[in-house]
Amino acid sequence: MRYTREFFGAIGFIFVLITLYIGLIQTGSAKFFTAPNAQKLFYFHVPSGLITYLAFMMVVGGSALYLYNKSDYADRLSKCSAELGLVFGFMSLASGTFWMKAEWGGDIFSRFMTDMRLATTLAMWMLYIAYVVYRRQPETFQVKKNAAILGLSGMVMVPLSYLSSRFLRSHHPVIVGTEDQGSLDPSLRFGLYTGLFGFLLLYIFLFNIRMKIEEMERIHLKAKMEKI
Amino acid sequence: MRLYPYMAVILLLASNTSAECRDKECMPDTYEHSDGGSAITFYYDSVFQIGSNWFIIFEYDSGYSEDTISFEFGEGPSKTVKVQGEGEFIGMIEESISFPGSSFANEEFHKKLFINFTQSNGEEGKLLELKIHINKPPAEDLIFLWGGMTVFWLSIGLYVLYISNKFRELSDKIGVENNGDREKN
Repeated sequence: MRYTREFFGAIGFIFVLITLYIGLIQTGSAKFFTAPNAQKLFYFHVPSGLITYLAFMMVVGGSALYLYNKSDYADRLSKCSAELGLVFGFMSLASGTFWMKAEWGGDIFSRFMTDMRLATTLAMWMLYIAYVVYRRQPETFQVKKNAAILGLSGMVMVPLSYLSSRFLRSHHPVIVGTEDQGSLDPSLRFGLYTGLFGFLLLYIFLFNIRMKIEEMERIHLKAKMEKI
Repeated sequence: MRLYPYMAVILLLASNTSAECRDKECMPDTYEHSDGGSAITFYYDSVFQIGSNWFIIFEYDSGYSEDTISFEFGEGPSKTVKVQGEGEFIGMIEESISFPGSSFANEEFHKKLFINFTQSNGEEGKLLELKIHINKPPAEDLIFLWGGMTVFWLSIGLYVLYISNKFRELSDKIGVENNGDREKN
């Protein structure tokens, strides 16, 4: 039980390496794409995007719980998950930008301003930058409460970003929950699932470590305050 | 954390513009054919780049009597153009055709392009032959793939570095304070 966390991390890393092998070597050059090589980013772009949504939804859940019962655990959970959401969100946004540039071409800035999926995802990510920056100050009760309210706004931003390519103007392809889902090539699907599983385990591993550090930091701070 | 704004700026500035030149001045190769009083000149690039449209521009005088010109790549694609000759010389007429960059998939040297002239009465006329090379340029999108991949490993690496530094600093702080307490006691 002692090394469970490390085990999760190692398995996650192995799965990411398997995804890398499937994406870059096993599946070969992609067909029906303008940029067949850049298409390989799919195996990392989609899982990191989904983990971003998961991380930000955990911030929403933690914030709601904190506002309900002032749980310190819920507050820590929100703070740590927001940080990881930013990391995975950056991966997803940056890889998506590289892929978009190769596949669609054109000006990156105008794409972000006119494609609703891109615009709402960037807005969601920036909102949580604001959240993390806001939390970089002494953690009083008021700061935690305001942060929880800010974190709750993800309740609107996360579904808005996720659903924007279905209901708003966007070039971003939609696969999950559509008729196209079944048309995904099995090799593509296998790579996607290994990537998703690997990223999920990495998220759990990093989240656990971050939570532990945050807990230690708070215990240390509390002990210091008691001495004073 | 300071890396992110720099990365964002680099990505924003990474846009580029490119355009295919369709003027005869841009064509590095020419082939001139004259037959009696009329002449026709072809302007083209003897290297067909897979993935980019390939143009051939031809210029003839309006006294040209042939009716149609067909361009055929052996077993590959072909195109036919109707000549707008007036039967008497008034001036030069310039026309062009293009083949899509997806016409070929593999490299090939000395690929023959047959140019057939057909007269208005259906009679087969002259047959010209141009040799071009089909080139497969290195994949341009590889740079985007490696760019995207680098972002992944850098992001995870930097975050792990951030939390390990944080953990070390905290451990040092706790250690120093515990030692201080012990010395006091």
